[in-house]
Amino acid sequence: MQASTPAPIRVLTVDDSASMRALLLGALTSRGFAVEQCEDGQEALEWLASNEVDVIITDINMPRLDGFGLIEKLRTSALHAERPILVLTTESSEEKKQRARNAGATGWIVKPFDADKLTAALRRVIH
Amino acid sequence: MSDMSPIALHAAAPGALEVIRMTIVQGEAKASADPRVEMSTILGSCVATCLFDPVARVGGMNHFLLAEPPAHARSGAFDSDYGLFLMELLINEMLGLGARKSRMRARLYGGANLNPDLSPIGTANAVFARQFLEREGIPKVFEDLEGTQARRIQFRPASGQVRARLVPSDVAPTEKPVGRPQSALGTVELF
Repeated sequence: MQASTPAPIRVLTVDDSASMRALLLGALTSRGFAVEQCEDGQEALEWLASNEVDVIITDINMPRLDGFGLIEKLRTSALHAERPILVLTTESSEEKKQRARNAGATGWIVKPFDADKLTAALRRVIH
Repeated sequence: MSDMSPIALHAAAPGALEVIRMTIVQGEAKASADPRVEMSTILGSCVATCLFDPVARVGGMNHFLLAEPPAHARSGAFDSDYGLFLMELLINEMLGLGARKSRMRARLYGGANLNPDLSPIGTANAVFARQFLEREGIPKVFEDLEGTQARRIQFRPASGQVRARLVPSDVAPTEKPVGRPQSALGTVELF
C-alpha cells in the first residue's frame, strides 16, 4: 500500500497587478501549492462565498474593494472568520500595517517578496 | 528625440513658481502632484518609466536596472522581480496621491546598450518595461528606448511634460545591477 500524497495547500492570491499574479502563480505552484487568483477584493469576496481555501494572500491597493475592506468583510463571515490572511504589499508604513492588523490580518509581508520566506510563512499560518 | 514637449524648464518669468528639483536615482520611484517639482535622471542601460494621470494631475518616475541572472541560474532570463517591484512602488506612490491606475499613461526612456561587448541588458530592461505596461493595461503613449547613447530625462509630474536629450555616455552614472534590497527582502511579520 502506498501512502497517499497529502492534498496541496490551497492558496487564494488577490492582486490587481497581472504581473504580480503571474509571479505569485509561478512561485507558489512550483513549490506545490494549489493556487487560485482574483483581481481585487470584490472578486475575491464573491469567489470565497462559494469556494474554500486554506490561506489568502492579499494586496492592499486595489480597485473596487481594497485589501483592508476585504479582510474586514471576511472577518464578519462565519466561514472565513478564522481563515489565515497574509497581506503582501509594497506599503511599508506602520500606520498601514496597524490598520491591517486591526482589520484582522494574520501577517504582513513587504514586497519584493522572497518566495522561500513566503512559502514558509504560508505553511506556518495554516498549522 | 522627438518628444520635446514645450516645457519652460528654466522659466524666469516674474511670478514663475520656483522649481523644486528632484533627482531619481537607480532603485527609486517617486510621485508628486506639485507643479513646482521637476524630476530628472540620467539613463544608460537603465530604464525610467514616467507615469501620469491627467485627471488627478499626478505623475511619477522610477529608474531601474534588472539584475543579470546568477551564474548558476538555469534560465538565462534577467531577474525581472526587481523591476516589477519598482513599477508597483511607483504605481502605489501615485495611488497615494489620488491617481487611478485606469487613467495612467506611460512614457518609457533609456535601455541603451552602451557597450556592444557586454550583454544587452539595456534591451532586457526595455523589453521588461514594455511587457509590464502591456500586461497591466497601461497605455504607452511614447517610448525612446534602446540605441547606444545615454539620455537625460526631465519630467514635470503635475503636467506630465517630459524633455529627453541624448548626452555623452560618460555623463551617465555607473550602473550596476542591484538585487532586491537584501535587508528588507520579503520581511514576514506574523501578528
